[in-house]
This record gives sequence, C-alpha cells and structure tokens, in this order.
Amino acid sequence: MAKEKIKAKILRFDPDKDKQPYFQDYDIDVNGPVSISELLALIRRNIDSTLAFRTYKCYKGSCQTCVVRYNGKVVKACATQIMPNSEITLEPAAGGKVVRDLVVDFAAM
Amino acid sequence: MEVQKLTTDVVVIGGGGAACRAAIEVAENGLDCIMVDKGRPGRSGATPCALWSIQAPFGPRGRDERDTPEQFFADMVNGGHFIGDQNIVEIVAFNACDRILDLERYGVHFKKYDDGRFFQTPMPGQTYPRSCFMFENGQHMSTVLAKEVSRHKNIKVMKDFFAYWLLKSKDAVVGIVGIDMINGRIVVVNAKNTILATGGYTSLWGFSDNPPTLTGDGIPMAFRVGADIVDLEFNQYYGTDVIWPPSVRGTVVLYELMIDEFADGEIRDKYGVPIIKKPLPIRDEAIKTIFNVIKEGRGTEHGGVLFDITKSPKGVEVARDVFKEMTPKHYQFLIDAAGLDLAKTPLEVAPASHYQCGGIYINEKGESTVKGLYSCGEAAGNFQGANRIAGTALTDTQTMGAQAGGCAAKDAKKKDLIPVDQKDLDLALDVIKEIVANKTKKINPAVVKQEILETMDKYIAPFRDEKGMNKGLSIIEDLKEELPKIYAPADINKYNLDLTEAIETKMMIESAELTFGSALFRKESRGHHNRTDYPEEDNKNWRCHTVVSNKNGKPEYSKRAVIYTRMKPED
Ligand SMILES: Cc1cc2nc3c(=O)[nH]c(=O)nc-3n(C[C@H](O)[C@H](O)[C@H](O)COP(=O)(O)OP(=O)(O)OC[C@H]3O[C@@H](n4cnc5c(N)ncnc54)[C@H](O)[C@@H]3O)c2cc1C
Repeated sequence: MAKEKIKAKILRFDPDKDKQPYFQDYDIDVNGPVSISELLALIRRNIDSTLAFRTYKCYKGSCQTCVVRYNGKVVKACATQIMPNSEITLEPAAGGKVVRDLVVDFAAM
Repeated sequence: MEVQKLTTDVVVIGGGGAACRAAIEVAENGLDCIMVDKGRPGRSGATPCALWSIQAPFGPRGRDERDTPEQFFADMVNGGHFIGDQNIVEIVAFNACDRILDLERYGVHFKKYDDGRFFQTPMPGQTYPRSCFMFENGQHMSTVLAKEVSRHKNIKVMKDFFAYWLLKSKDAVVGIVGIDMINGRIVVVNAKNTILATGGYTSLWGFSDNPPTLTGDGIPMAFRVGADIVDLEFNQYYGTDVIWPPSVRGTVVLYELMIDEFADGEIRDKYGVPIIKKPLPIRDEAIKTIFNVIKEGRGTEHGGVLFDITKSPKGVEVARDVFKEMTPKHYQFLIDAAGLDLAKTPLEVAPASHYQCGGIYINEKGESTVKGLYSCGEAAGNFQGANRIAGTALTDTQTMGAQAGGCAAKDAKKKDLIPVDQKDLDLALDVIKEIVANKTKKINPAVVKQEILETMDKYIAPFRDEKGMNKGLSIIEDLKEELPKIYAPADINKYNLDLTEAIETKMMIESAELTFGSALFRKESRGHHNRTDYPEEDNKNWRCHTVVSNKNGKPEYSKRAVIYTRMKPED
C-alpha cells in the first residue's frame, strides 16, 4: 500500500532532565486517516519508544484519560482523526502537573 | 535502587469495579487498605468500557415478579455449560440485589419504572429480563465507585502504580512490589492480605474491545507464587466489535440490541444474507456462526460481517434511536472518530477478545490456593465456567469484590504482619535491573508485544486445533528466548513506559504459554473453547476444570472436579 505521511510536532519534557519543554518533530508513515491515539502508538512502536502518553482506551470517547492539546485545542486523542499529509502540533492538556511529555497528573481524577 | 517501603492491613491491586468494591469493604471492616492502580481508578480497566447491563434478580421489585436468585443461579450454571463452581455462583446470585442497592446508595443512577421498580432489559441467556439499566453505563459506575473509595480515610490510593510482583515469605503472600510511575520509585507494600483484582487478560489478543492496558498481569504474578490458575482456554469473544477502520477498531456494537424487542436488525454476510436466526442465541453460539461465515469466505473486505439496522422492519429511525438511547457514547464515538453513522451504513464487525472466563482459582471467600492471596472480579476464575452470560461480570465485581474484601479483612484481623523476605525482594529488583542493563542487542518491548498479539489472534481464536496451537506455542517459545534483549532506558524515571511495557511483555509471554497449554490440554469443545479436532462436548471426560499448577516453576496441567451445591447435571 502506498504510504502517506503525517508530520507531528510534539512537546516533550522530562522534569528530571530538561530545563525547558521542547518540540520534537516526527514524520509518521500512515495508510489513510488515523486517530491521534493511533498516531502516538505508531510513533512508540516504529520511531521513538521513549515518548510518554497514556495508552488506556475506553473505545467510546468518554473516559477523558487521553486528552491532549491538538493545534492549541484540547481534544480526546481517541476521537480525533488526522488526515494524511497534515502537519500537527501536540502538547499536554492542562489540568495538572506534567509528569513527562504528554502525561499529565490530572488533579481531577 | 531507591525502594520505598509501606505497610498496611490489606493491599488491593486494581482500580476497577472489583478492586474498588473490595477496598470499600476492607475499610468498612475498620482496617487500613492501600489500593494501587496501573491507571487512574474510575478510568482504568474494563469497568468504564461496560454498558448499562448489570444483572440482579429483583423479581417483584423489578420487571418480572417471577424472577428469583435461584433462577439467576440456574441461568449462570447453564450458561457456563455446568463448569462454574456453584459455591461462588451462589454468592453472586444471592447477593446481587443487595450489592446493586449499595451501588445506588453510592450514587449510581438506575432507570426505574414510575412506581419505583427497577427497569430491566432482557438479554440472551436470562430466563426473565434481569439486566438493570445504569444510565451512562460502566463509566459512571466506575467514577462513582472511585469517589466512594476516596471518601474512606483508611484507604490510600496510589494512581499510575504498576504492580508486577507478589512477595512471598515462606508459604504466604505478604504484599507486592511495584513502580510508582509518577516519580519512578520502586515501592514495596507489606500487607497481611493481598487482593488481586487486576481484571482480565483480553488484550493478550490484538483484536480486543478491552483497553490495551489489560494484559492480565495478575495471572503470571499469582502463578509465580504457586497459586493455581483455572480454565484459561475459555477466553470469551464478543461477536460484534467494529473491525474497520482502524480509528474505531475494537468499539463494541451491541449484538443484544438486534433482538426484535429493540432494533430488530440483522447480521449479514457480504452478500447481504442474514446469518443468525432469531431469537438470538447466547454469545458463544452466535460467535461460532459469525466465525464460520468469515472462514467460508462470505466475510467483508476487512474480515468481518455486516451489522445492519438500515433495513429494520421497525424503520431505521426507531432502530437508530435504540442505539442512541441505550449506547449513546458508542453511537457518537463512531461518528466523531470515523464518520460512521450506523443508521446510514452497515458496520463491518467481527468477534473480538472480550472477557476472561478463567483466571485465578478461588473459593467462595475469594481465597486463592496460596495463603494471604485473594482474588475477585475478572481476574478470578472458576465461576463463569465455559461461557459468561451478559450482565453477570459487573454483578460479579460487586458481589465477589465485597466478599473478598470482607473475608480478607476479617482474616487480617486475626493475624500479624509477616515481614518481607529480602531474598524474594532482591529477585523482584533483579527484574528491573536486567531490563535497564546496557546490552549489545536491544529490542523494543512494544515490538515483541505486537508479535504476541498477532500470534494469539492467529492461533488461539475461538476455533483451534492441536497443530495450530503447537505452532503458536513454538512462536511464543521463540519470543521467550528474545526476552533478555528487551531493553528500557535506565535514565528515565517518570512514566517510563518502556520499562513497564517490558515487564508486561515478559508476563504476557507467560500468560500466553499457560493459555496455549490449557487449550491443548482440554480435548473437547465447550463454550468458548472450540477444538476443530475434538468438535463434541464430552461430558463424560471433560465436565471439569482445567487447572495449571506451578511445579518448581513449570506448569503442570490437571483436571479438577466442579463444585455443585444446588444443581447437579441431570445425566
Ligand atoms: C466493551 C465491554 C463491554 C462490557 N459490558 C458489560 C456489561 O454491560 N455488563 C457486564 O456485566 N459486563 C460487561 N463487560 C465486562 C465487565 O466490564 C468486566 O468484566 C468488569 O468490569 C471487570 O471488572 P474488574 O474490576 O474485575 O476489572 P477491570 O475493570 O478490568 O479493572 C482491572 C484494574 O486492574 C488494574 N491493573 C491491571 N494490572 C495492574 C497492575 N499490574 N498493577 C496495578 N494495577 C493493575 C487496571 O488498571 C484496572 O484498574 C464489558 C466489557 C467490555 C470490554
């Protein structure tokens, strides 16, 4: 199958090592549209396994564990589709302290 | 390595329905409890994924006055093909109503008739309609339970805590070792009793409707300390989960809503021909039909069948409203995540791994075969038998959750804390040291995990035979050889997914071995275990449990008699 690409800029931060959060660029091969959750799983499996995000899924867009900031807006990673050939930015959602990368220690849960 | 040491009366592993209910019961018995969850209580495990349906035989207080705990008991025993232990089924059936009233007291909203009776829906396998209806489904139940846990001052909750080791001193389990993922610390919890409520291992298969985090860590942990494991060959599939497109793969669409009382839809092959006759049979039978249709080449492009309400005799709007009302979140999710409206297009669905019927062997108190270790919920084994009927799993989490919590608390009151054996703790620490040690060839755990998932999907689907399973087992054994190369960076402390995933992968290999072993051992077909080389149900030789015991680190398989209390098989 012909491979298409999605370019993602992801905000990374390890409070143990980094003075400041920084953006890292990833080029991800995809076959058709993918959800942000899938995109992140593809990065971990094929490109960079050190990227941290919550892997839990409820399959119905209701648990809120996967929320991230996508192009500035807070969305559910599982329920948000990304089209091939797009360029996107992902940052951790607000609501608690950043544990690492996209993982937030949400105060509310 | 920095190790934090904590002590408590009872430690509970898990944050789903069973774990929360067990912790509440421990606390209400006046003891201290630490509850640890690999995710966030209320938003982890299978409980949030569940639908509205939780069975309780309310009889005159519900929809059909003829219903009784005795009838619920009989339905579970029959649905499980007579190999559920009845001492446990009794606890589930006879305490169901009280535990659901507890849920209501905690704040779960149930649908009621105007006169206050519980509204109940019928599901295949129920003699009378018995599924109570939770508004906002399992997600609501989960968050309400987690909130109830937080009201108890004597329960300490540790979120994002990955438990991977049961500590044993001489012949008893004395607590756990885990990784606090928020800060990377290794934590020992020394306890009088340990309750394992880690849920099922359905995500040992690639196509599953359970969260990917449910890798079933409880089984290898319990097996290592010598607890018997039971009936692993009966992993239940759910017939109709979306298989395409990938963004919604694994989303459940309710087979039970296709009955004429609800949507009156059809499951069709790729030519549009209906494949399941009405009234709809219980799950294991429906799944066999769907699998066979796909195998015969009558499946869709992506290996599914069509879930179709568009031609319902009730009219598509009425049929759609059933889904909108009964499973609103799923209905909307399919639209948001993939642009799929089931009122407009039939969905491509196929059977996916759904529920672990087997698990840790327990008795009616929730005790395993090892001192100090209890289990409840989906992690525990011998009460569903060869098949689970709809709506019993959530009931089990509340009935056996409370039972295990109460019994573990009462027992803990009678005994002193046994200290941790340093040698055993050292072994636990070695697991981490080996993974983060520098090595010449490094393997990414996520890659090995993917191979395990594919191997399970391919060789131990509901239909299986000796040749295929031996092949699958040999792939797993080859992967086992690779385990020493699995690597996680040593310089990441916080949320080190490589490390937790590496440990999970090791445990998944063990669970896979035990599952292949159990399925090879049972030479008949029953419930969710269909051996094409032994297609008949053989009550003379196999109306019994498959038990795996740990003999000096090696699995030993044997038969164990089923416990009958109220209903003996008639032949
Ligand atoms: C899509 C779907 C729909 C369902 N619908 C229904 C329904 O309508 N009615 C019904 O009765 N049943 C239903 N079920 C089944 C039911 O939801 C589950 O069987 C039940 O919720 C299991 O509860 P549990 O507490 O035993 O485990 P879970 O809810 O799975 O919880 C397990 C917990 O253990 C934690 N854990 C696991 N490993 C570790 C570890 N190593 N360290 C620390 N913590 C760990 C997890 O994070 C989680 O908190 C459904 C299941 C699915 C997937």
